[in-house]
Amino acid sequence: MKKILFACTSLSLVFLAGCATKPPAPVVESAIVGQAPADPPKNPVMSAEALKADSKSIAVTDIYFKKEGKNLTFIEETRTTTDNSISSVITPKTIEIDADKANASAITGGANSSAFPVKFTNLADPKATSPGAAIPPVPAVNVATPSNSSSSANTQSMKKSGYQSNNEYGELRYLANPIRGLLIKSGYKVVQAKSTPAMPNQGDEYFDIVKRIKAGDFGDADYVLYGVLAEISSTDNVADIPGTKSTSQQVTLEVTVDFNIVDTKTTQIIASFVASGEGKDVQIDGRDTGHKPSTAKLMKLASLDLAEDVRKNLADQNFITNNPGSAGQVRNLKRRLDDDASTLKVYK
Amino acid sequence: MIMNTKTIRLSAIALSVAALAACSGPQVRYGDAKAVETVNANYGSTDLQMIAEAMTRSLLQSKAISGSKDAPIVTLADVKNKTSEYIDTRVITDKIRTQLMKSGQVRFAVSVSEMQNQTDELKRQNQSGLYKNSTIAKTGNMQGAQYRIEGSIASIVKNTKDVKDVYYVFNLNLINNESGLLEWADEKEIRKTATR
Repeated sequence: MKKILFACTSLSLVFLAGCATKPPAPVVESAIVGQAPADPPKNPVMSAEALKADSKSIAVTDIYFKKEGKNLTFIEETRTTTDNSISSVITPKTIEIDADKANASAITGGANSSAFPVKFTNLADPKATSPGAAIPPVPAVNVATPSNSSSSANTQSMKKSGYQSNNEYGELRYLANPIRGLLIKSGYKVVQAKSTPAMPNQGDEYFDIVKRIKAGDFGDADYVLYGVLAEISSTDNVADIPGTKSTSQQVTLEVTVDFNIVDTKTTQIIASFVASGEGKDVQIDGRDTGHKPSTAKLMKLASLDLAEDVRKNLADQNFITNNPGSAGQVRNLKRRLDDDASTLKVYK
Repeated sequence: MIMNTKTIRLSAIALSVAALAACSGPQVRYGDAKAVETVNANYGSTDLQMIAEAMTRSLLQSKAISGSKDAPIVTLADVKNKTSEYIDTRVITDKIRTQLMKSGQVRFAVSVSEMQNQTDELKRQNQSGLYKNSTIAKTGNMQGAQYRIEGSIASIVKNTKDVKDVYYVFNLNLINNESGLLEWADEKEIRKTATR
């Protein structure tokens, strides 16, 4: 009986030992359907220094703008022909006006044509000014024959009027710095980009970012973020404050900028958005006291607000996260930088 | 005997003087502010308290307030007095505001009637040039209210020779300022009958 008990115990022990050394059943990895598994962070514990060392550079340029203007030009030529010679006196007169006003004037038969009753022609257009053109210059001929002279003289006066387009291209240098700061905080290295001076007779090729990328204007950047000023406007309004005897004067400066992010390798537009910024100065009873708002302060506020809107748009399109400095942001940024090996340059 | 008569006279005079002195001053006593007041059928303190308590309790149970993650910002708008009596409706809304504030579930922005003091203070701090910049309460940072409270009080009064019957209905609404939606509404009815 003892032997049987001993044998049973031994068998049980052997069986238990066998179970203990048995390798665990292989675990089938769960397949993720319809969702790309996120890469685990390669360096989960990442200091700001490490992030800085890994991050790519971002070059930030200033915001491009194009200012359209039209010069109204009046040319009065007085040509005097005598027997022996022809003398000519040309008196040009140029008035610079806003393009909008010019477009609304008689050039297009616009609603404000009464303000600009002259039918203007484009003096730069050879067809418009050539002989026999649809809108010829208006000649006024005065023939004067001095009675007390034996020689005859003809005085011919010609008047031309028209417009010349005047486009100004350039970069606004003070709006981009808060965006640079935002990108620095997000972990990118920001490099000052080369400025782009406008050439004489510059055209819209000034905004041709692909041409500039190919010309090497952005160095080895993988992305170019550039912005073109769409509109800048200021308003000065006064409103009553309900429940009080006071009024509030609100002077607002608003800028709207079109942004694009272009992959420099493929020239593909990666992201595109419109951002706007507003600087506001509110003064209670300001109109009564003759308050003059500070333009510098308004510009600063507008640029900060613009940067905030840029941040939101960049976050929406996964270039930065909504919470700079968070663990998620660090991980996303690290992954993006590792996967895309990207350098983002911001050109505006 | 003469002595006794004199003593009685003097005592009587002294008593009269004492009695007159007691009658000449006002009789002041404190009462219970929450005690039911039934002096007449007109709007009174008990009505005010009943309305405020009922409305506060109902408002705190509303989805807009109890379901809000953060204490919503509310402002007081007008409560119209549609009765024939003079009723300071501001007292009603102030009482409701106090009770709501004590609950901690609601925050209040200054109402229109308090705006003059608010703008005066902002103007003083921002535009006088007297204050340290970092300590100034800056113009343009006031918080807008998500909701406004407004309502009305109306009454129906009927008189006979011996009976006066007054029916009050107090209506209060909570309106979402952005959407314009009525988020909550409740009413409190009070009937008072006075007989001679």
